[in-house]
Amino acid sequence: MKALQVSKITKSYDKVPVLRRVSFSLEVGERAALMGPSGSGKSTLLNCIGGIDRPDEGEISLQGQSLKGMDENELCRLRRGTVSTVFQFFHLLPTLTAAENIEFPLQLSGMSESERKVMLPELIEEVGLSHRSHAMPHELSGGEMQRVAIARALAIRPKLILADEPTGNLDSATGEVILDLLEAISERHGIAMLLVTHSPGVTRICRRTLEMRDGLLVDQSEAAV
Amino acid sequence: MEGNATLNERPVAIGRLLWSRIIWRHWRREPRLILVLVGILALGVAVFLSVRLANKAAVSGFGMFTESIAGESDFILRPTAGTLDVSALRQLRERAGSTPVGIFPVLEVSAVSADRPEDGWVKMVGADLVALQNAAIYTGGGALVAGDSAAGDDGIPGLADRGFVGSSFARRFGIVKGEAMPLIVNGVPVEFDISGVIPENPNLPSVPDNLILMDLPGLQSLAELEGKLSRIELRIAPGIEAGENRQKIGALMWDLAAEKGWILETPEDRKSSVTQMSAAFRLNLTILSGLALLVGIYLIMQAMEAAVVKRRGEIAVLRSLGVTPAQIRAAWLWEGFILGLAGAIVGIILGRLMAMGLVVAISRTVNTLYYETTTSAVTLERGEILFSLVFGVTASLVAALIPAREASMTLPAQSMREGGQGGGLALLRQWPLGLILLAVGIGFAFVPPRVLASGSIVPLGGYLAAVVLVLSASLLIGLLFKPLSMILKRGGKDDPMRLYAASQLRRPEGRHRLTAAGLAVAIGMSAAMGILVASFETTLTGWIQQLLKADLYVAAAGTNSVTNGNTLSASTWEMIEDIPGVSGTDKIRRYEVSVQENNFFLGGVDYNDDPDRFLQLMWLEPPALKGPASLETRSGEAFPGWASESLARRFSLEVGSRIPLPTAEGERPIEVAGIFAEYGNETGTLLVARKFTREWFGDDRISNLAVYLDPEADVELVLETIRKTFPGLVARTNRKLRTDSIRIFHQTFAVTYALEAIAVFIAVAGLGLALAGLLLERRDELATLKALGATRREIARSAMWEGIGLALAGLTGGYLLSFLLGWILIFVINPQSFGWTLSYHVPWFSYIALAAITLSTAAGVAWSVGYRNANLRGERKE
Repeated sequence: MKALQVSKITKSYDKVPVLRRVSFSLEVGERAALMGPSGSGKSTLLNCIGGIDRPDEGEISLQGQSLKGMDENELCRLRRGTVSTVFQFFHLLPTLTAAENIEFPLQLSGMSESERKVMLPELIEEVGLSHRSHAMPHELSGGEMQRVAIARALAIRPKLILADEPTGNLDSATGEVILDLLEAISERHGIAMLLVTHSPGVTRICRRTLEMRDGLLVDQSEAAV
Repeated sequence: MEGNATLNERPVAIGRLLWSRIIWRHWRREPRLILVLVGILALGVAVFLSVRLANKAAVSGFGMFTESIAGESDFILRPTAGTLDVSALRQLRERAGSTPVGIFPVLEVSAVSADRPEDGWVKMVGADLVALQNAAIYTGGGALVAGDSAAGDDGIPGLADRGFVGSSFARRFGIVKGEAMPLIVNGVPVEFDISGVIPENPNLPSVPDNLILMDLPGLQSLAELEGKLSRIELRIAPGIEAGENRQKIGALMWDLAAEKGWILETPEDRKSSVTQMSAAFRLNLTILSGLALLVGIYLIMQAMEAAVVKRRGEIAVLRSLGVTPAQIRAAWLWEGFILGLAGAIVGIILGRLMAMGLVVAISRTVNTLYYETTTSAVTLERGEILFSLVFGVTASLVAALIPAREASMTLPAQSMREGGQGGGLALLRQWPLGLILLAVGIGFAFVPPRVLASGSIVPLGGYLAAVVLVLSASLLIGLLFKPLSMILKRGGKDDPMRLYAASQLRRPEGRHRLTAAGLAVAIGMSAAMGILVASFETTLTGWIQQLLKADLYVAAAGTNSVTNGNTLSASTWEMIEDIPGVSGTDKIRRYEVSVQENNFFLGGVDYNDDPDRFLQLMWLEPPALKGPASLETRSGEAFPGWASESLARRFSLEVGSRIPLPTAEGERPIEVAGIFAEYGNETGTLLVARKFTREWFGDDRISNLAVYLDPEADVELVLETIRKTFPGLVARTNRKLRTDSIRIFHQTFAVTYALEAIAVFIAVAGLGLALAGLLLERRDELATLKALGATRREIARSAMWEGIGLALAGLTGGYLLSFLLGWILIFVINPQSFGWTLSYHVPWFSYIALAAITLSTAAGVAWSVGYRNANLRGERKE
């Protein structure tokens, strides 16, 4: 079963086409880079896959489960258990501490306090933030914020992580560390990842690179790993 | 030259650029937000305006009628006490000499409809109808009954039992011309023929719906007041010499009034002396208008702060591009000006509509407590419109200035990093300043009152204390967020949305503080008014308990207001005293008198001889002598009298002080023998023995009769006998009178409750609007929450908890503030303004009810705001 199957999806905003019959798939545990210039439709594609937006046409399936026809609550359940997102600007909830941000999706999924107490330190440990767990987002560096965002995405043990420019707001050294972390997590937990990026450096952890332009998927190339 | 011109035009050019490219586009992009802003501004203006309009409309009824008897009189001559003798007309005419002046004698008497006594009382005005018809020459056709309109087809009638009514009166009582209307005048039933209905005249004030106009001799005879007048109105004939004549007549009449011990006043003086009587009520309304004003300002600041804070990032970008802080401030102030103007215009329309509802409640209170009035239509004058526009725009500008100034002064890099988050009014974070203000506010409460040149006492320290304490509460409210956040968090460990809401309160934004402060002010001031009302009620109940010891109370129908002049004749009360079972009576005759241009009530009292029943008043300084002797034993020239607490305060009286009392027989010195508590009116009462007032005013009628029965007598039987024998009298049992007194008390404060409810409603609406703004600002966070799997209902629930947290902060702060404000109202403002000693009483049940209503409304509003905003699209998208 494929982790992600995208079939001929189309999306327009105000009659301006943003995605045009885009199709591709990801195997379980596979990492792919999605590249392309600004405005090519990368983030819209990510939103559609994450169930935050809906395509006008076409079909998206996660773990064999089609998103088509799912109502808002079903999409919410999907985001709580199957797919999670890492953003370029981290989007941590500014009023929650690092640990609380990571714990948040666990609480949403209804995990008991005793289970959370076991899992939370593991997650914090996994992203190397044990010493900063009580810090507020504004007290963290960019790299640390992205680690929190990754741990938050990882918390629900998703089958697919969507990463929107995960290193775009970081210096290159920190970006490298974050990429290593993503790769390690993907390998360790068998999580498929779709990484939207402008940076060719990101492709080093990906098996495939998808190239988008003007809403079209113009190229799918195997990376020389 | 050209270079200079370019330099001079640059600020304008930049201003225009900021407008067209930034502000205007913002408006176009977010019309909903702009509508919310204008809505908030409009609400603030509307509440303030509606209270002003309603108050004005309710109390203006009296003045309008006074003016309309002879068009608009130039002068009014009235006695200091009792009535004027008709011989005054001759003296007046002689003194005026050849100066052209219209003289219009007027007698006013109260009556009540025999069929529908519950419909309130009717004012009967006796005037010289022939003179009035001729009044057109003095008024240019503007007299109330000028021309044929009043006389109808019957010409001028001179009959005692005929009168004219306005069309509103005819509609109210369902009568037509020629019909008879049964009335009770001074306790005596009479059949009264309606000779004509005065049609509506668009150029004149409408005739009140409780007015009967009749010929003067007719009313004098009907009311058994032959040869007596209530006042004389004077009208100068128009023309080129009118100004000179007015001055001349004014001087002549002033001399005559001084000589005869009368009062000469203009209609404006009369109006102000009438409204002086309702000082307590007006204070009540002033506090409530102040409450509305403050809540309005908080709402406006909230809205403007949100608009500026939201664009802090943008402001930073502009600064980085070289726009100066002054230019940024100017642009945002212009925005504040335009929003303020738009809000004020909408607010004026809304306020006008709200006033129509309020005016009914206010006029009912005024009618019950002070004087007969009719509800005049709510009129929106140019002055009110201008005032509201200035209020709305100024509040909007002040509200915009503080956050715009803060934003324009912040370093661009910092603003860009923080973006739309944080910010707000830095002032509201200054809790140490709040503590200082708290101390200053308490200090102000001990400042002695200020005595004005007019003799009025203004509790300036008390008012200042209240304002400073309100400000202090606004600054201290921020301290409540952390503990509240912990409580919220502790109660919902497994509810992430509740934890998220708690985290918002743990790090409150300026908006949170401002919203909670606005709510605290509304709750604090409303609850403080509640303390005042409850304390008043508790004290009043105790006073009534002490005062009402008789078994039955009898009065002429319609005497449900302190200024009503209906009386019982000697033969009536003598017959009641002869009813089997009646063991004794107390009698009181009330007069309205004026000393040093201050009106108060004179009571001629006749206590029965039973020493156990004597001196039932609540004494602050009891008289030295016991029994009736205290009021009857003269010391030298002076007559003994008992002064009420408020009278003693107004005239600085102590036991042993003297006050000159105007009577029909000239001035009489009264020596204060005791001071008693009285909560029936705030103008004050002086009690003397009725045997003296009977002598001074040549009048054996009484206003009220308290009847004591033998222990074995059947109360109901005696009551029934009185009712049957005297259908024009109102007889009530002790219990009924107590119940009625409390009912009237609650009716008095009905408008207070209504306005409190409006203030709290607006504050809660402000909370909803603030949350809507917060969620708009947090749209990226909402998008994140949704990306994490939160449903729309869960986001709504989080908003609900945040709203509950805000409401809890507002309630806690508001209640703490109310205890202090209540203390100031009861122990500082109240005794200084009215001289009433009240006991402090907190209405706990009302507090719980208010908290429950506020919390549940806040929860509902916040949930729906959260639900509506949960689908906002985040700003990030490619």
